[in-house]
Amino acid sequence: MVTFQILPYLLEGTWRALQIFILTLVFSIPLGIVIARLRQSTVRIIQLPVRFYLLIMRGTPLILQLIFFMYFPPFVLGIPIGRFTAVILAFSLNYAAYFAEIFRGGLESIPRGQFEAGHVLGFSSGQTFTRIILPQVIKRILPPSASEAMTLIKDTALAQIIGVAELFRAAQNSTSRLVSIEPIIAAGVIYLILNSLVALVFSRFEKKLSYYRH
Amino acid sequence: MNKRIFLTLISLILVLAVLTTGCAKAASGDQSLKKVQDAKTLVLGLDDAFPPMGYRNESNDIVGFDVDVAKEVAKRMGVELKLQPIDWSQKFNELNAGTIDCIWNGYTITEERLQETNVTSAYMKNRQIVIVLADSPVQSLADLAGKKLALQAESSAAEALESKPDFKASLGEVIELKDNVTALLDLKASGSDALLVDEIVAGYYIAREGKQYRILDEALAEEEYGVGFRKADQALRDEVQKQLEAMAKDGTLAKISTEWFSKDITTIGK
Repeated sequence: MVTFQILPYLLEGTWRALQIFILTLVFSIPLGIVIARLRQSTVRIIQLPVRFYLLIMRGTPLILQLIFFMYFPPFVLGIPIGRFTAVILAFSLNYAAYFAEIFRGGLESIPRGQFEAGHVLGFSSGQTFTRIILPQVIKRILPPSASEAMTLIKDTALAQIIGVAELFRAAQNSTSRLVSIEPIIAAGVIYLILNSLVALVFSRFEKKLSYYRH
Repeated sequence: MNKRIFLTLISLILVLAVLTTGCAKAASGDQSLKKVQDAKTLVLGLDDAFPPMGYRNESNDIVGFDVDVAKEVAKRMGVELKLQPIDWSQKFNELNAGTIDCIWNGYTITEERLQETNVTSAYMKNRQIVIVLADSPVQSLADLAGKKLALQAESSAAEALESKPDFKASLGEVIELKDNVTALLDLKASGSDALLVDEIVAGYYIAREGKQYRILDEALAEEEYGVGFRKADQALRDEVQKQLEAMAKDGTLAKISTEWFSKDITTIGK
């Protein structure tokens, strides 16, 4: 079993993957909320650029975006950008686009009548949103968000294209040295463990919010 | 109207700023060596899955023949060597973006690469050889007609194949894989019939894996390894070249070669 021998190396890669995962969520979720709201705007000068952004981010491969953010700024503008910064930038902008559409779907699933009802009951529009609409939206967007988070865990493997040594790269390097696919299988098990945890956290969260169901 | 004038002014200033920085860069000449000396670091870009030139050992350190030579060169230049693992397919992007100073990792000198980069003179000879499974019926390059040949994408093996259009046309399929070991595993799993690879790299794997593989007597191309720099970085390239020649002269290069290949197979200064 070479797995135990290479485990510290794989864990180092796992930590890198987790850093990408956490930082991407931290940046892309708030950004996604803002973008979802802007996308709902009826002002064309706001809505059109946002739609263009969503098209670019969802319409081109993430691996291409990684290469773009890493090599385009230094080559054209002469400003070097760190490897890890480029990874976080590309991942955050990409995932914000997907989260934005999930959030928008959630927001638009709430009947307009509820806003009016809130108004009639004497809530301000801010109160209506935070107290009545938002709790329902969160419940509805949890399942697709969980899928998105699980995809993100797996997508961290793409960071190696610009030289960030995450888990999959670590496994491939061990494979190169040992000429064995065991490290790849070990990495697969680690990805699976991470995603089991992500799934668990989301299902706990869902259960906690299902207070009206018995 | 006022707004329009304001915008025009802003864009003019921006254009000027871009132009002047461009000029400033062009006027200052070749600062490549000075830049490395000032930073006290030489950033070496490598594929850290390329044994025996540069790869990770058991304790996760990057080791290899090229790494040892580069360390000695950096020491003699009085700078620190920083090993930057990169994706091999991105090597020119890395160089042009300034994220690495040189490509030094079994970098085969080819026509195309001489146009893209400023390369030192060759320090080692290499051949592109074909590996098959020991029990394969394939004995010569001609036997590969209609068969599947695997190789590392963006490698000199790919270029060597391009330079032999007749041979390439005779093949059934060319399978481009991410790195050499994936290609080797592909061969082992019979996903392909043969693997085109650097002789130096193949030596490491065959030494490890033993009798499972056989090397065809016919080689595809003779080639040489060099160190690649940005096209404009003449001063830095010359300094590294000078250090390599000095190391060849005082026997250091032969010593490192013997450590890795049990004989001196370097060619610089010979």
